[in-house]
Amino acid sequence: MSTELSRLLTDLGEKSSYDAASQCCRCGYCEQACPTYVITGNEARSARGRNQMVRLLIEKRLADPASARVGLDTCLLCGACTAACYARVPTADIVLEGRRMLAEKSHWLARILCRLLSEHRGLLAFGLKAANLAKRLGLTACIRPFLRLIGLPGLALAEEHVREAPLTFLYEILRRRPVAADPQWLYFAPCGPNFLYPRVGQATVAVLEALRGNGNFLDNGCCGLLAYNYGDVEDARRAARRNIVLFEAAGGRSPVVGDCSSCTAFLKSYPQLFLGEPDWRGRAERFAAVVLDAPELLRDAALPPLAGLAPATYHDSCRACHGQGLKDAGHAAMRRLAGPSYRELQESDVCCGGAGAYAFRNPGLSDELIRRKVGRIAATGARLVAASGTSCLIQLAQGLKKYYPECEVVHLSELAARAIAQGAQDGTQAGA
Amino acid sequence: MTHKQMLPKDIRDLQRMLPAGALLVGEAELAAYAYDATAQRARPEAVVLARSVEEVRHTVLFCRERRIPYVARGAGTNLSGGCVPLRGGVVLSLARMDRILGIDTTALTAVVEPGVVNLKLQEELARTGHYYAPDPSSFRVSTIGGNIAENAGGPRCLKYGVTTDHVLALEAVMPDGGLERFSARDAGCELMSLMVGSEGTLGVVTKAWLRLLPLPEGVRTVLAGFTSVDAAVRCVSAIVAAGVLPRALEALDRATVASVEAYNRAGYPDADAVLLMEMDGTPDEAAREAEIVERLSREHGATEIRSAQEAGERERLWEGRRGAYAACARLAPNVLVEDGVVPRERLPEAVRRIQEIAASYGIKPALVFHAGDGNLHPNISYDERDPEQTARVKAAGAQMLRACVELGGSLSGEHGIGTEKREAMRWLHTPRALKLLRDLKRAFDPEDLANPDKMFPEPGGSESGPLIAARALSPQVERLVSQVKECASLGRTMAIVGGGSRWKAVPPDCVEISSAGLSAVLDWDRGNYTVTVEAGVSVRALRAALAAEGFHLHWPDFDGSLGGLLAAKPWPRLRDDILGMRLILADGEVVDLGGKVVKNVAGYDLPRLVLGSWGTLGVMVDVTLKLRSSPRDVPAVEDPVSFAARAWQKKVKQAFDPKNLFNPWFHS
Repeated sequence: MSTELSRLLTDLGEKSSYDAASQCCRCGYCEQACPTYVITGNEARSARGRNQMVRLLIEKRLADPASARVGLDTCLLCGACTAACYARVPTADIVLEGRRMLAEKSHWLARILCRLLSEHRGLLAFGLKAANLAKRLGLTACIRPFLRLIGLPGLALAEEHVREAPLTFLYEILRRRPVAADPQWLYFAPCGPNFLYPRVGQATVAVLEALRGNGNFLDNGCCGLLAYNYGDVEDARRAARRNIVLFEAAGGRSPVVGDCSSCTAFLKSYPQLFLGEPDWRGRAERFAAVVLDAPELLRDAALPPLAGLAPATYHDSCRACHGQGLKDAGHAAMRRLAGPSYRELQESDVCCGGAGAYAFRNPGLSDELIRRKVGRIAATGARLVAASGTSCLIQLAQGLKKYYPECEVVHLSELAARAIAQGAQDGTQAGA
Repeated sequence: MTHKQMLPKDIRDLQRMLPAGALLVGEAELAAYAYDATAQRARPEAVVLARSVEEVRHTVLFCRERRIPYVARGAGTNLSGGCVPLRGGVVLSLARMDRILGIDTTALTAVVEPGVVNLKLQEELARTGHYYAPDPSSFRVSTIGGNIAENAGGPRCLKYGVTTDHVLALEAVMPDGGLERFSARDAGCELMSLMVGSEGTLGVVTKAWLRLLPLPEGVRTVLAGFTSVDAAVRCVSAIVAAGVLPRALEALDRATVASVEAYNRAGYPDADAVLLMEMDGTPDEAAREAEIVERLSREHGATEIRSAQEAGERERLWEGRRGAYAACARLAPNVLVEDGVVPRERLPEAVRRIQEIAASYGIKPALVFHAGDGNLHPNISYDERDPEQTARVKAAGAQMLRACVELGGSLSGEHGIGTEKREAMRWLHTPRALKLLRDLKRAFDPEDLANPDKMFPEPGGSESGPLIAARALSPQVERLVSQVKECASLGRTMAIVGGGSRWKAVPPDCVEISSAGLSAVLDWDRGNYTVTVEAGVSVRALRAALAAEGFHLHWPDFDGSLGGLLAAKPWPRLRDDILGMRLILADGEVVDLGGKVVKNVAGYDLPRLVLGSWGTLGVMVDVTLKLRSSPRDVPAVEDPVSFAARAWQKKVKQAFDPKNLFNPWFHS
């Protein structure tokens, strides 16, 4: 039995998980915000249904607790329901509590990966590079049947979905930067940019340098979200403590900027991990208070519009718009960057179905969501779509390739970096 | 009637009839269909997620064959426990039947499946410059099917009417598994009106034809603070008397304003009552009406008046009103949204009584009301996990409803009866009227499988009669009653005659029962804009008398008696203005149907059902009509000759007059 958090930090203050779930009065106003309810029409795939399931689990009123598993596993954790809820019931956190109650033990792969990400990065990097090299040589496609055979169809799918396989990781690149004595910012490298999309992290750092001057790479480990969502809460805490210590060692004052919205949203929620530990809670609060997601960094930045940009639109990563309330930030930045090429995306704040490992665990629902998303993107006529979460980048790249190959996906930071480079070329100064 | 538990074989057989993924039987999934937006819970034994009319029919037929109860369900946002499957059985979800089948902007109609979400329809319509008027607070998630089942209202219904006023026709799977279409234009007693608001107890709506309106070009919103609820309500009456009918006329009491301010700082005035009024029409009309409303607010002592024209500005004025429920939902896990209705002029008294009741039960309700139509919503926050608190809150809510009924109002303006107000039905209806409602249900659904246990009080229980004694019968009506009773005891057939203008000769085997000479105005409520008149009154004479004092009916010109007109229903829109009716039934018992409030969903809509029934259902003694403050010319229409009863109209007849004593030739 993996341990639960048992207490949550909600919009209405600290509550037991039971009180938090019971705060759902079943008014149903979240129904149409829940992507899985909208596509299935099934109350047992809705936010309201899931809150009730967890409540029944806590009350021990399900004779067959395992019957709640599919309902809880199909939750995207996108948080759109919470944004629609008057009481801001934190369904995603509640669903995770439910999953933890049902899990006998977390998946061995998730456990290993969590440990590797936060404690044995060198080992992981070695393994990943070997895998990426194999992927580049087209060898990994051959092991897909094997992965399915050993009960890892998700990994097989992941191998299929992930289209980039860098041989140099972001942390290796950033370690070569000179260390600033008085850093104005600290860059937190989320695992996505670190191991999959180094170009995203490099873009963010370039933007930071242009907008905020000197700063340092935190050389951090995993934020702990993987463990929080799929593994053990204790592993997530361990990851959080490491990162907080790193931050404190780096002065403990400068803004911590990350460029995966799921990751930054989780960094901002660190205090919830330490509700029973006053010392760590305080340190987590000081840390969380200075975390910035890339859209936040770019919201008010004076960036010149990109010249000659094809029609472009913006997809809200769930953990930015619902998780951190940053809907306006991403759109404001994108509108400025795209200038007259900007196209408004209908349902921009509906999950694309990426949602971490969701695409690999619930391929059917995930595919339905990405098809709707790509349909909306195609309706704008965009040739470029920007987002701010790693899962979105993977999912959109895969979905666009399949259903609308005329369009490509980039991280918002990449566009900002391009605008800055263009500004530098034009001889005009881009600054905050 | 006892129902069978579903056996494993039943589940297997049901599974075989349905496509993969359309049947849910897992425990947690069933638990997700155990509730609606009330505190009620009961798990079904199976859930069918229907995607087509055929799947609905198969399910209904399956349930009928095996005597398994079923409950049709849309989004499950019901506030009266209406879609909680008290006896288990099947929940028939229509959420997947969510296609908009057609929008005709020339004929101003839309055809939709029942699972279409109100907001999705509004979004589609807005693209064409139109809208669908009913706007219940749940409109972002609730379905058209659910709105129809509950006859939902909303702020906008003051000017434009509730759901039933915007439904043109319905297709429904009836309890026998047959597919029927009912239209407001059908000759004979009007079953479409019966189906709307019947809470899924008479059939499952599978398609609806809806009336559309063009989006207004001009909208003005005015917010005003008053020093008392009395002053605010006096102002509302003055606005209506001035010939202005705002599309919304919302009110909040001081406690609500305070709780909303704490929640979202909408910047509402510090006042004992706040009115939020919205006028629409051409830009000039809206502006002119807004001026009148502002002037009347000032004259009634409004302390602070704000006005807005631009959409964003208007939305800001609405923030406080919209935040009222939200604020309550944050105070405690649960909110009881009570729903009572009184004649508008009685609102101040109703508010006072509700506040007294709240104080005596130690609760603090936030009071929001649709001031224009007398519909009140005390919102009470509580925690359902605390049995003592829950019992106290429910008891207080019940007392508030009692107060509404005692003030001449009704149990529900727009939420329905469901399970929550079943027992309260006794406060409003006589045992004979309740029997009539039950007889109708039995005639339609003899096995009692379609949403059983809703709307009616449990059999047995106190039969003490309603809280308000019925109006006394006049000597002439007494004579009619004894005449009918005598015929009934002898099994003699009767011919109901109004002004006598519609059929020339009474068949020789029938005793003539005539309402001629019944022409008294019984209750002309000038503040509430209603009139109760006897059925024998000449329509022209009535209209002349009303017009002399500035009251009007928006009808074409008609000759003959009011009763005769309503019995023949030459013009379907007559239904818009019928609020209540007193009827002598075929056994000589007298029942009062409906009332004098403009919003009323306490039981089947019998006054509208009786329209067009050609005297086959009862002797119309008097009628309560909604009045208007301005005249309007409506083109004349042709009188119909007669009608031929259809199968489901025969079932209605069976409930009202099982021995076929009234105007028997229609059903022979």
